[in-house]
Amino acid sequence: MSKTPVMGDPNSVSPNSTRDGWINKLDRKRAEGPFFDGHRVRNQGFSTQAVHAGTHDDPRTGAVGTPIYQASTFILGEDQYGSVEGGFARDRFIYSRYGNPSQWAVQEKLATLEGAESAIVFSSGMAAITASVLALVDKGAHVVAASDLYGGTFNLFNQEFPSLGMSATLVDSYDLEAIEAAIQPNTQMLYFEVITNPVLKVVDIPALVEIAKRHQIRLVVDSTFAPPPVMRPLELGVDLVIHSASKYLNGHSDLIAGVAAGPRKLVDQIWPRLLNYGGSLDPHACFLLERGLKTLPIRMRAHEESATALAKYLETHPAVDRVLYPMLPSHPDHARAKQLMKMGTGNVTFFVKGGDMAALKLMNHLRLPKQATSLGGVESLISLPFNSSQATMTSRQRAAIGIDPGCVRLSVGIEDASDLIADFEQAFTAISTKEMTDA
Amino acid sequence: MRNNIPTAALSEFVNEVADAPEEGLMSYGLELDWESGTRSRAQTKPMLIGPHRVSRSFTWKADEPRQLMGNNHGPNPQELLLSGLGSCMMVAFVAGATAEAIQLESVKIDFDGTLDLRGFMGLGTNSTVGFPEINYTIHVTGDATAEQFEDLHRKSVAHSPNAQTIVNPVALTGEIICTQIEG
Repeated sequence: MSKTPVMGDPNSVSPNSTRDGWINKLDRKRAEGPFFDGHRVRNQGFSTQAVHAGTHDDPRTGAVGTPIYQASTFILGEDQYGSVEGGFARDRFIYSRYGNPSQWAVQEKLATLEGAESAIVFSSGMAAITASVLALVDKGAHVVAASDLYGGTFNLFNQEFPSLGMSATLVDSYDLEAIEAAIQPNTQMLYFEVITNPVLKVVDIPALVEIAKRHQIRLVVDSTFAPPPVMRPLELGVDLVIHSASKYLNGHSDLIAGVAAGPRKLVDQIWPRLLNYGGSLDPHACFLLERGLKTLPIRMRAHEESATALAKYLETHPAVDRVLYPMLPSHPDHARAKQLMKMGTGNVTFFVKGGDMAALKLMNHLRLPKQATSLGGVESLISLPFNSSQATMTSRQRAAIGIDPGCVRLSVGIEDASDLIADFEQAFTAISTKEMTDA
Repeated sequence: MRNNIPTAALSEFVNEVADAPEEGLMSYGLELDWESGTRSRAQTKPMLIGPHRVSRSFTWKADEPRQLMGNNHGPNPQELLLSGLGSCMMVAFVAGATAEAIQLESVKIDFDGTLDLRGFMGLGTNSTVGFPEINYTIHVTGDATAEQFEDLHRKSVAHSPNAQTIVNPVALTGEIICTQIEG
């Protein structure tokens, strides 16, 4: 008997009815996915996974690469109606806010790269964060989070949480004793960033995993600064990993997206929040993200190569007070970085002698790095915390989280290191010459 | 989704517990504070669902009617007992119906119980202290036959934790921690 091919995940089928027994007779088990059939890439190298996982060729034309399924809605048949009735609508195509083949392709690629059973892409990193956090907490819940969180996440805990009758305690991510002391009877989650911004602290994730397990609470991490070639937090025992995919994952500074990846059990709890809060990712953005991800491992190698060379150059420059790059021995967390990070990234933070005004002058003389917020793009991006990301803080408040005067936040792109070094060289020369002329 | 329960997730959870029994261990707690007279305030403690702690931020009050020396500020303990029994039977009934692909339109359980306070008062009779009997009627509208509903009724009571706690002997163990104040 010929059967209509399943439009969706063919491994997902309706549970049987239990008229002859109780609910122990229900036969549907949880499985990874939802994925299309037939192109799993699990046990191959990282670059092979980046290129092939989730990606499928057009079955009608043979066109290579996942087509862009620019559709808001899908034709419904018995199978789709059955999936709604059986409670597994996530495994079929119904409406693009629920799921779309372009989303599935990139979700499978991201799940594979993170070593996760399941992943959901969102229309921004913040959409991923809000949907994930709110899926995993209940009425009256409390969260322990890092005190130097990304501003958007801080606003979720500081502005939205109290309105929802929830609370958060923010603690220095180095201070394990304080983190543990902040845990209350109603605490449900630890929320941390694996590498912090802008001082690039490498957080002791295995210690946080141990604390979370001992207190029977969830550990959710934002791994935006450490994409899968650098760190795979789920392998360290983290419950859920979130990214702003606008950064390294996409890598081309041309879209806004987010992702949450983890066990199917948790990601299935997040999916209804995607439906309710509505942060679904457009199919065209999915295509761009999928294309960007194919080069993630080679881009990361290029980021690391140029950033390492530039960080070493900056470290020896007399106009630079201090450089923070986790893979250099001078970084306070270098030992932990060697233990937890498989490679370096493009993020370099340094402090210019002469404070914020000297840093501003240097930045204005640079020709290659673009003065813009964000990170992880192929082009170098540069910004100063004092007038951008941490502009609302006083200099004393900035110093308390390690942002001393002259702090420069640099995301090294994939340009040739020699060109970046030459550009910094001319900018340093220009500001020192200018100082002499001014005097 | 049937009866607003995702059958797939119910099935996945049952199979998860079959493979990992610790995921099926639920630990509950409740704190009761005496407020005044016969009135007390109940507050849920955090709950453990398998190995994970969940916030439970719920409080309610219990009181006795004025005729029983109270102020009638809340349901009384017997009503709360019936409420806990009935809402548990309801969960089992609806979950069982969903697993059997029975579409429900309405379900109502009507409880009645009579107890003789002479037991509480210690007046020497043969009456039991608690309810000697609890009566209920389930009113259900849905797409199953009377026979299917009767079968579901039997299975749901057999698998309802609160119903089984009431019909079977339960060890009630407790202690008291005392602080004596100056008269």
